[in-house]
Amino acid sequence: MEKKQAFRPLDALSSLWRNHSYVFVFVVLLVIYAITIEATGKTFNTGHISAILSSQNTVIVGSMAIGQALVIITGQIDLSVGSGMVLTAGVTSLVFNLTGSVPLTILAALATGVLLGTINGVLVAYAKMPPFIVTLGTMLIFRSLALWAVRLIPASITGSPSSQFALDSTKPGYNWLRMQFGTGSIKLGSFAIPYVSILFIVILILFVLIATKTKYGKSVYAVGSNAKAAGLAGVSVQRVKASVFIVTGLLVGVAAIIQECKVGNVTPATSGMSFEMYSIAAVVLGGIAMAGGRGNVLGVLFGALSYATVVFIIVSIPALGADIQNTFQGLVLILVILVQTAGPSIRERFRRKRVTS
Amino acid sequence: MTGMSKSFDGNLVLDDVNLTVEPGQIHALLGENGAGKSTLLNILAGVLPADAGTIVFDGITYHDASINQMEAAGLSFVHQELNVINDLTVSENIFFNHELTYPLGVLKRSQMLAETQALFERFAVDINPTAKVSDLKTGQKQMLEICRALHLDAKLMILDEPTTALGNDEIDHLFALIRQLKANGKSVIFVSHKMPEIFQIADTYTVLRNGQLVSEGSIADTTPLAVTRAMVGEHRGTTAGYRQRPLGDVVLEVSSLTSDAFTGVNLKVHRGEILALTGLAGCGASELLQSMFGAFPTLSGTIEIGGKPVSGGIGAFARHGVGMLPTNRKENSVIPDVSVLENVYLAEHCLAFWPPYIVKRRELERYEPLGEMLGIRAASPDMGINSLSGGNQQKVFLARWLNTDADIMLFDNPTQGVDVGAKEDIYELILDLADKGKTIVINTLEIPEIQKVSDRCVVLYSGAVVADLPHDAINEHDVMAYATNAIDARS
Repeated sequence: MEKKQAFRPLDALSSLWRNHSYVFVFVVLLVIYAITIEATGKTFNTGHISAILSSQNTVIVGSMAIGQALVIITGQIDLSVGSGMVLTAGVTSLVFNLTGSVPLTILAALATGVLLGTINGVLVAYAKMPPFIVTLGTMLIFRSLALWAVRLIPASITGSPSSQFALDSTKPGYNWLRMQFGTGSIKLGSFAIPYVSILFIVILILFVLIATKTKYGKSVYAVGSNAKAAGLAGVSVQRVKASVFIVTGLLVGVAAIIQECKVGNVTPATSGMSFEMYSIAAVVLGGIAMAGGRGNVLGVLFGALSYATVVFIIVSIPALGADIQNTFQGLVLILVILVQTAGPSIRERFRRKRVTS
Repeated sequence: MTGMSKSFDGNLVLDDVNLTVEPGQIHALLGENGAGKSTLLNILAGVLPADAGTIVFDGITYHDASINQMEAAGLSFVHQELNVINDLTVSENIFFNHELTYPLGVLKRSQMLAETQALFERFAVDINPTAKVSDLKTGQKQMLEICRALHLDAKLMILDEPTTALGNDEIDHLFALIRQLKANGKSVIFVSHKMPEIFQIADTYTVLRNGQLVSEGSIADTTPLAVTRAMVGEHRGTTAGYRQRPLGDVVLEVSSLTSDAFTGVNLKVHRGEILALTGLAGCGASELLQSMFGAFPTLSGTIEIGGKPVSGGIGAFARHGVGMLPTNRKENSVIPDVSVLENVYLAEHCLAFWPPYIVKRRELERYEPLGEMLGIRAASPDMGINSLSGGNQQKVFLARWLNTDADIMLFDNPTQGVDVGAKEDIYELILDLADKGKTIVINTLEIPEIQKVSDRCVVLYSGAVVADLPHDAINEHDVMAYATNAIDARS
């Protein structure tokens, strides 16, 4: 038992596959993307990677997926993130257009997100309602409120005459938010890293540390793994369950800021549609168990990047239209999870054959 | 079964084991936890495939048979954990997966009810067939589980520790029922850790140790001591047993405490004392223990710790230095997806939230002396908790509270599902902790356990304290008499 095993690269690779299969998924998709680009006669370059990094599927969905990951690790679900982001982005635009102050705008976005998350968290943890129902309800409410408000508020304040909330381009902070932060990037030689991607990755690293290196992070896993036992070990189960929704709200606020800075506007009727589902998909592709208790927040980065890459692959193939996009996203999701769940049992069958023969 | 072998991930858990049960025989399968009993039975029942060996059941040889095949062949398995479905009625549980139906799958409800009634009458079981299972007591659920197996009219019935959840009357009833089966030519494989039960009911026995067959034969030709020695092996002697120690001031005082499960309880526990609470299942002792940890709601009365009244939830009691090892380890203690170390430090982190980050080196420095003192056998603290045996897991959860420097330790049925050797370890640990000045309250149904460790024994009957016996007055007969209220009935 005690004897040291020699390093075997195949074993290391198989352990990497078992624990971090999301990395392989992303690499495979990236290779497919490179091949499709080359096949259409262009050259695959760092610009393509920058585009994936700053895609809304990476930075906006990805930010919310970090919160979704914590919610799912506690064994719950949040369906309201997409609508919540739209409503929060609406409030963010209004505050900017009325005050022109960048700090106030950022504060308003985060505070609104936290407020929406707190509504979910309190109803789920303290009123003990099922998270699916609560967030289904708030999903409908948040979007509807944004739709109602955008038609009610005069265009001079919403920033757009066409049922949109947009940042007022005449305000002094506009240039900084949109041109410098929202669409700008750091140049490393030929490689341009967008600021929004840096923000996303910094937040992701922060949450990877929170999940793995803090007492709070461990209590999140404990609640998802066995809530009753966690409670009897002294964990405030209700507080943890509420807190992950509040954290998700905060990240919805971040996503709303990115939406406003990167896109410049939000359309309550169409923006952020199905983002709650994309965020769940990113979490699942990131190897986090829907049953709770297991998974790595780092996986969310690769889950979100994989999803963004699928979209780019489809766009790069001229024969495919945008309408077919969800089909491929759905297929990738099912295929990856199929390999993950069916893989071990197939391997077991092969092993048993070897033993018996 | 002959030459059965099985290994998991290269660990041989069954090594060339034979097991023979004749018709009309009650066979006791014995061994410590991890000896391979469950693996052997799971292979027999078709839950697991064997690596080698043959199973001959009723003259037919089976190879890699499925659960359904073995069930059809006349084998039924009552597992250690309850597998009843709480949201269905008693009768629906009896017929679960074997429903009687009209064409198109419409259920024959009245016929199923009548058959359930008849089954219960035949075996003198007092359960209402239309009751919802969630409303039954644990003992009744266990009887229902056994009745479900009886209903299959199996030739061989496997009972895996059926008596842990049963009171004495229910155990007697179960034994009468097993004898009835035997008289009808059916066979039973009976797994238990309780020697008196085995010598009362079984005809033959097999002892496994570390996956190997170490002893088998007729119960009439052996003694409990010899069987225990075979189970444990030669390396372990008897423990020092009970020892007295000086007691300090009153540290835990319960006054007129009332809840849904008990009424007007008064208790005083001194520093360094080991107090045992006991009584039949459902007497309120477990709930009383839980209320001293804030885990069971009380209606009136006070709990004082070190002279200060404490109320509120688990957090409030934990901050006053109370820790609890709950009953039903799998449900109430195990955090299955995280490591041994993470299972240990969870409670301490809830109390000391600052600093909010974890320094693993510091956690290991706290864990190592605890692991050594408690004798936790884990190859590494980073191992998954589920790779440890029951007794070792129990030590991990004890470490969880000792890590918080709890002064008062509550143990709810601490040796449930723990093998003989680990039981001895746990008794010894309880005595050691008391020697170090910890105050200990244990709830247990096992009277020999109380005799071995406790300074005082409080007996509950139907939610009220009926006796408070000092160590010298604790004996099996008296405690049982109080617990069953036989003394009250006599006067």
